[in-house]
Amino acid sequence: MSGFRPGRGGVAARVAAASVLAAAVLSLPLLLESTQDLWLALAAIYAIIGLSVNIITGHAGQISLGHQAFVGIGAFTAAFVVRTVGGFQTDPVTGLVLAPEVVATSGFWIGIVVAGVTGTVMAVLLGLVALRIRGLYLALITLSFGLVAETTIFNWRAFTGGGAGAAAPRPAAFASNQAYAYVCLAILAVFLFVDWRLVRSRAGRAMVAFRAEERIASTIGVNVTAYKLLAFAVAGFLAGVAGALFGHWNQAVQALDFDLRTALVWVLMAVVGGLGSRAGVVIGSAFFAVFPLYLSAAAGGATLEIPGLGEVLIQTLSPLLGAFLLLLTITLYPGGIGQQLLPIRRWLAGGPLVTSRHEALRLAGLPGLVVLVGTLITADGAMAGRLGMGAVAGVAAGVMGALLLLEYLRQLGRKRPVAQKRGAGGPTVAVARAGTAAGGPAR
Amino acid sequence: MSTALEVRGLAIRFGGLQALDQVSVEVGEWEIAGLIGPNGAGKTTFFNCLMSIHRPDRGTVMYRGRDITSLPTHRKAAMGLARTWQNLGVIPSLTVLENVLTAQHAHVRYGPMAGILGAPRSFTEEAGLRVDAEEILDFLDLLPVAGERVGGLPYGTQKMCDLAMALATDPDVLLLDEPSSGMGPEEAHQLGETLRFLRTSLNLTILMIEHHVPLVVDVCDYVYVLNFGRLLARGKPAEIQRHPEVVAAYLGGEARGAA
Repeated sequence: MSGFRPGRGGVAARVAAASVLAAAVLSLPLLLESTQDLWLALAAIYAIIGLSVNIITGHAGQISLGHQAFVGIGAFTAAFVVRTVGGFQTDPVTGLVLAPEVVATSGFWIGIVVAGVTGTVMAVLLGLVALRIRGLYLALITLSFGLVAETTIFNWRAFTGGGAGAAAPRPAAFASNQAYAYVCLAILAVFLFVDWRLVRSRAGRAMVAFRAEERIASTIGVNVTAYKLLAFAVAGFLAGVAGALFGHWNQAVQALDFDLRTALVWVLMAVVGGLGSRAGVVIGSAFFAVFPLYLSAAAGGATLEIPGLGEVLIQTLSPLLGAFLLLLTITLYPGGIGQQLLPIRRWLAGGPLVTSRHEALRLAGLPGLVVLVGTLITADGAMAGRLGMGAVAGVAAGVMGALLLLEYLRQLGRKRPVAQKRGAGGPTVAVARAGTAAGGPAR
Repeated sequence: MSTALEVRGLAIRFGGLQALDQVSVEVGEWEIAGLIGPNGAGKTTFFNCLMSIHRPDRGTVMYRGRDITSLPTHRKAAMGLARTWQNLGVIPSLTVLENVLTAQHAHVRYGPMAGILGAPRSFTEEAGLRVDAEEILDFLDLLPVAGERVGGLPYGTQKMCDLAMALATDPDVLLLDEPSSGMGPEEAHQLGETLRFLRTSLNLTILMIEHHVPLVVDVCDYVYVLNFGRLLARGKPAEIQRHPEVVAAYLGGEARGAA
């Protein structure tokens, strides 16, 4: 960012682009149909979960494969709160809700907050363990933490309603999918603000420091223990709130919805989105929320003939895409979607659009991505059918192929960076200045 | 002159290796003390014990008359002890400015939650921190590279960034671990000037591990020599250079060349 200042036209363009983007997101629930509003709400909920995973993994450098525990406890807590605070009746024999329409809006909000708090408690419990363990063992501990929560708390009849689950109706004000989508987007906006301030304040910097090296962090005065727990606490709050929103999204909470597979998808979407990148995590999470829904809506009961395997329901193929995207991210784009968005993000923040050839290539892949996402959101499920599926798959394959090809060409053309060894050519500050003025290695 | 840092009988064992044995060091207020010794003598281990990175088996660390031996590292940092690292204490993925902002952690006055929730005072204080950080960078001539990622900078500049981070913690006592490594004679001399300037302008007490003999002779008021975890000698740089055991253990022929 060395001294770049956009001109008056540049500022106007940036402001215009940002307003168009904001207007598009804000008007989306109005433009979409009811079913797709529901998709949008889920996208926002997943985005909150993605941000939560990102706080633990992206910011604090810990790992959580047990996120279903925090989200699940949030969902059950919210259902429990509206059941008791909201004052509607359940059938003592069947446990079914008798009069769901009397859920008070206040009960809904109380449920959200209490769900966040219980999520925090769960996460801090896990965080206390994480203080002493790292790496593979931490992954295993979080994994079993999630599994234990699944099989104990989520099966506690009085709290969760057992296998039948608990009803979690929405209050009348948010009964429509459109209104509910706005609720979820609003809460997402709040948490985006929180994440932004987290990164830009002492807590976020402390986390970056101990993620890099705990000894360095403590040497500059960071209480590593406290800030690790803080990361878990904040992430747990987000996850708990997301769980509450998910419960009301589905209008019912079942233990089945919070299994290990789901928790893995949540980690996956944060990684594919790009750990540490807010925009990337939101987009990645939204994609992983909507894609399976879209696939089952668009493909209906359509099947695919795979040689040797016979007929396969297309909608069962969505996890494959997740695995493929993960591979692509790990091998070629460690920064995930966020890395691809970096030029745009920097441009919106008042920087130059492109600083290297490498970034220009990346940017070239974005229109394809936009087309892909656009097709996903706008395509009408009933109409699309096999044809739409084919088009989407074609576009996706084309985009991915092009990106792979570009990346391959780039790696072929890249010179090995000159190793900067100690003492090589007298590294004074003055030399550094001259060296970096000529353009340091772009990330 | 009063004592800023007083270490008595420090000892630590790693398995079968007695890394430090009965090491006592005193650093007076505004003094620049040197800690020298061959590789593996236990110099960095000594720093690690001072900062609670390692917990010593025996011995006490007194800071301005207070026993701080078993305080956690971050508390020591907040009290005014800062250190640099032999193999760099920077965060390579951040810019120089961000590194220094990070190192200001201990004297940020708003709480972590106030920051996360975006309390207005956190915004105003962040602006103030940035000004302070830029002042430190200007001081060390790092301002031109403030926006560069540290990992992409030359080794010597990264070293200076490490020093900037130590200064950003607002220290009383500065522990420097081989500050001149990776520098040529010219820059090492320059570094000596900088250290002297830092001492007078920031009222610092400095204890430095250093291999570069001319720099030690140039800036240190007093020198401690470690060998195989034991204190071999102490004295003024000129005395140390003539000390027969030191010459045998460490300086060798180089001592005459440097004198």
